[in-house]
Amino acid sequence: MKIDLITLATPFFILAVILEIVLARFARTTTHYEAKDTMTSLGMGLGSQVFGLLTAGLVIAATLWVWQHRIFTIPMTAWWAWVAIFFLEDLVYYWFHRLSHERRFWWAAHVNHHSSQHYNLSTALRQTWTGGVNGSWLLWLPLAFVGFPPPMIAIEKSVSLIYQFWIHTEAIRRLPTPLEYVLNTPSHHRVHHARNPRYLDSNYAGILIVWDRMFGTFVAEDEAEPPRYGIVKNLGDFNIIRAAFHEWVGIAQDIARDPRHTLGYLFGPPGWSPDGSRQTSDQIKAAWRARQPSLASGSDNPIAPRAASRR
Amino acid sequence: MTPAYIIQTLVSFLAILMLVGIAWWAKIARHAPDLDEASARALIADEFPDHAVGAVWVAADHRSALARSGDEALIVYRAGDGYVARSTPWVRLAEGRPGKGGVALKLADFTAPRARFTLAEGATWPPASLGDAP
Ligand SMILES: [Zn+2]
Ligand SMILES: [Zn+2]
Repeated sequence: MKIDLITLATPFFILAVILEIVLARFARTTTHYEAKDTMTSLGMGLGSQVFGLLTAGLVIAATLWVWQHRIFTIPMTAWWAWVAIFFLEDLVYYWFHRLSHERRFWWAAHVNHHSSQHYNLSTALRQTWTGGVNGSWLLWLPLAFVGFPPPMIAIEKSVSLIYQFWIHTEAIRRLPTPLEYVLNTPSHHRVHHARNPRYLDSNYAGILIVWDRMFGTFVAEDEAEPPRYGIVKNLGDFNIIRAAFHEWVGIAQDIARDPRHTLGYLFGPPGWSPDGSRQTSDQIKAAWRARQPSLASGSDNPIAPRAASRR
Repeated sequence: MTPAYIIQTLVSFLAILMLVGIAWWAKIARHAPDLDEASARALIADEFPDHAVGAVWVAADHRSALARSGDEALIVYRAGDGYVARSTPWVRLAEGRPGKGGVALKLADFTAPRARFTLAEGATWPPASLGDAP
């Protein structure tokens, strides 16, 4: 079911990428594409479909098994069921995505989506090859346990993925304010892909940005500080195998060197090290705050109050 | 793996080649200007904001640069239309052997295995302007 919707959407993905490139070619937008980067991003997209098959059977079987032990029976034909799963799936996505950034075992799979220094529609298709192996799909099982039919969950997951495609663009600056308040938009997601310290670990939303506003992870795009895209330590080349597996290799190297800290290297935040020789996102942000004279004393910057309360 | 799936994957691969071709044709990569002393210094300051940096050395092809901060070497080099930054212990620069076209320095980092520095004729490595290794 999942593959079906994504497959149906693929021709539109392709047309949209062509449109974005052609608009940029004739100077209608400020979008940038670099051919090698585009190759890696799109190759990651195709590879993720292929690798996804390896664990798809397990995910479907587990979902069906849980659904057979469900509490309620929710009909796929009821309108309210679709409304409910829209909100609940999006809430699950928020926590999946937050976990994928805050703990290295899940970041190792999700980092793929962030390792491009570009932000365009091809970046949206830069998807993980290893998302099936870290068990993050378990987070969706409670929906089946409550009683949502597995095809309904699969459809809603696809809807979320397809929604998130179009927001990977610099061609759209801002939507009307009410929409920016409620929806995940190109502006909010640009912030999510930025490596500027002030933007790190924010805007985890899938479709609704309200979760970030509720749980304190929302950061607005500041026109005065354009996002610089990528990861804290950008990749040194465009090798697709490196892009797919580098963080797993990094974890393995760290554990081999210092097995006493296996748990920290696996489940600590990305950038964690026992001797503090590397920096986590929180440490990078704290250092950034300390460099801002106006923020140290408290200011109208939304990040400042947190800085003050931590001292 | 049904035949239909294999065909679908092949078609997807051809579509990727087409899109990459269009992206190449459009020539809409970022303008990444060659590095000079000032731009390399600004880039290094951006990437290593908490490091005190002395002299900055720029490679002969203006695609990579090097600075010293205590016993660390701060490195930036071009990848595609962007730049990549890494640091390495200063003493390890001596492991890079100047050869034809410059120095390929191993970084002991799977995510960025080596940085390349082109050298002007007769230039020394590590760059003399940055001081000798301690
Ligand atoms: Zn993310
Ligand atoms: Zn994204």
